[in-house]
Amino acid sequence: MFGLIGHSTSFESARQLAEQLGFPEYAQGDLEMWCSAPPQLVERFNVTSATGKTIEGAYIDSVFVPEMLSRFKTARRKVLNAMELAQKSGIDISALGGFTSIIFENFNLLKEQHIRNTTLKWELFTTGNTHTAWVICQQVENEAPRLGIDLRKATVAVVGATGDIGSAVCRWLSQRTGVAELLLVARQPQPLLDLQAELGGGRILALEEALPEADIVVWVASLPQGHTIDAGSLKRPCLMIDGGYPKNLDTKAAGEGIHVLKGGIVEFHTDIDWQTVAQAADMARPLRQMFACFAEAMLLDFENEHTNFSWGRNNIQLDRMDWIGAASRRHGFRALGLESETIPSLATA
Amino acid sequence: MTCPYPLDMPSLDTPSPVPAAENQGLPDGLPDFGSSSYKSAYSRINAIVIEGEQEAHDNYIALGTLLPNEAEELGRLARMELKHKKGFTACGANLGVEADMPFARDFFAPLRNNFQKALSEGKVVTCLLIQAILIEAFAISAYHIYIPVADPFARKITEGVVKDEYLHLNYGQEWLKANLDTIREEFEQANRDNLPLVRRMLDQVAGDAAVLQMEKEDLMADFLTSYQEALTEIGFTPREIARMAASALVG
Repeated sequence: MFGLIGHSTSFESARQLAEQLGFPEYAQGDLEMWCSAPPQLVERFNVTSATGKTIEGAYIDSVFVPEMLSRFKTARRKVLNAMELAQKSGIDISALGGFTSIIFENFNLLKEQHIRNTTLKWELFTTGNTHTAWVICQQVENEAPRLGIDLRKATVAVVGATGDIGSAVCRWLSQRTGVAELLLVARQPQPLLDLQAELGGGRILALEEALPEADIVVWVASLPQGHTIDAGSLKRPCLMIDGGYPKNLDTKAAGEGIHVLKGGIVEFHTDIDWQTVAQAADMARPLRQMFACFAEAMLLDFENEHTNFSWGRNNIQLDRMDWIGAASRRHGFRALGLESETIPSLATA
Repeated sequence: MTCPYPLDMPSLDTPSPVPAAENQGLPDGLPDFGSSSYKSAYSRINAIVIEGEQEAHDNYIALGTLLPNEAEELGRLARMELKHKKGFTACGANLGVEADMPFARDFFAPLRNNFQKALSEGKVVTCLLIQAILIEAFAISAYHIYIPVADPFARKITEGVVKDEYLHLNYGQEWLKANLDTIREEFEQANRDNLPLVRRMLDQVAGDAAVLQMEKEDLMADFLTSYQEALTEIGFTPREIARMAASALVG
């Protein structure tokens, strides 16, 4: 059995979901009440691979909402309690979705293995980042040609390059795609220099310097609230893969020739009979589309690979991306692409 | 050259990893066990624990009258509670604190009254919910939160106690699980009647608990986690559990 550990995208949407699910006490509760509420295993469902194999999954809502991010102890407890619930529910492999993996990594929860009388087994959890990185790379490779961008002549900026997903994307793009130039953008100088040395190339630039040079921008960090992108300075066409969380680039960069694609999202070959996940997720086709990190838990379960496949920071190697990518195709996932109507040359064709 | 924006995780305004409350007290982050404010708060919290263990003893003995076949096992559980009471009494003495027992008896009055009423009506399910599930789940979570911020003497005692309390919780779970088909209605009513009391009791001592570096939100959240786990073991569905747990949060 696989598990998905997730949360609503906002307190307001969480309350609406509680109302729809028939939990009026939660729908009417204030944020204080939600901070004390324990995680809930809200749904079980079956998923059938393109190969015909069927597995059972469970969705655990951590009852975390992004409004709790400033409360360190609350956020930490939400993530650890949700993981404990997954473990005690007998789930073989669970993906940490949304902010839960970000909180896990940034609050260094690896040292919090003991919670009450439970010792968390890390091998039961995956960040899902290997699949997310592979999907983002597929999106670059698939969508660039549709916009008339030749990768061999293209400049690709990776924003958040030194992160777990960002560094994997850089490795893949530099070794597998032959992009003309890679621009490395991140906050900390030393990890950037280390990455540059590992890649044997790539130019380190500030965000505002990188954007006007880039044919493709891969965002694996979201733009801070309040910051804007000068759309006028961007190249046309410009492909923007929004792989950060939460996904908010489409409200920051718009204009003719600017194509924003939700990054790290996959579509399954058939509808999944899940209700809560569909309602909680902000997807165009919620019965088929999901975060690639969630799909990684499914893939590991389909493959009977019950291990923390994606774990730790900057461990993602290309052979692992190949493996998860092959599994992804085999079981019926494909990377989300640009809608045809948003590409003028295709819409008129 | 680096970007001025916090790109690695821009939406997360990473707060200080150590909450302010943990910075008070001794250099190692523990409270000052000898301060007058600590001792004052401890006199009430310690009394609650001592009274709680005494009432647990009395309640298990009383349950034996409703379940004569189980009286021996219940007597064994009751004796463990008296042992805990002695341990916690020693914790207070170790700090030179006199437990405020009148406060503690008032504190438990609503739950005690409900237990006694159910006992007089022969309601085993309600009695078990109050003592073996609700109080035990609360004790377990509170002890878990207390252990990292306790003085070394109390820490050792509490670590021993918490292991026993799991046995008591397990006793209630097993009995209720075996009788799940017939207990639902009474259990849900007892939950509605008693779970809101926990929040009110917690509100009453939140200030004292905070002096001991035990935060109300943690206490409530961990209690509900333990309580939900117990309900899961008994066999309630996630939907039933979510609804029942909500009684502690609202109302």
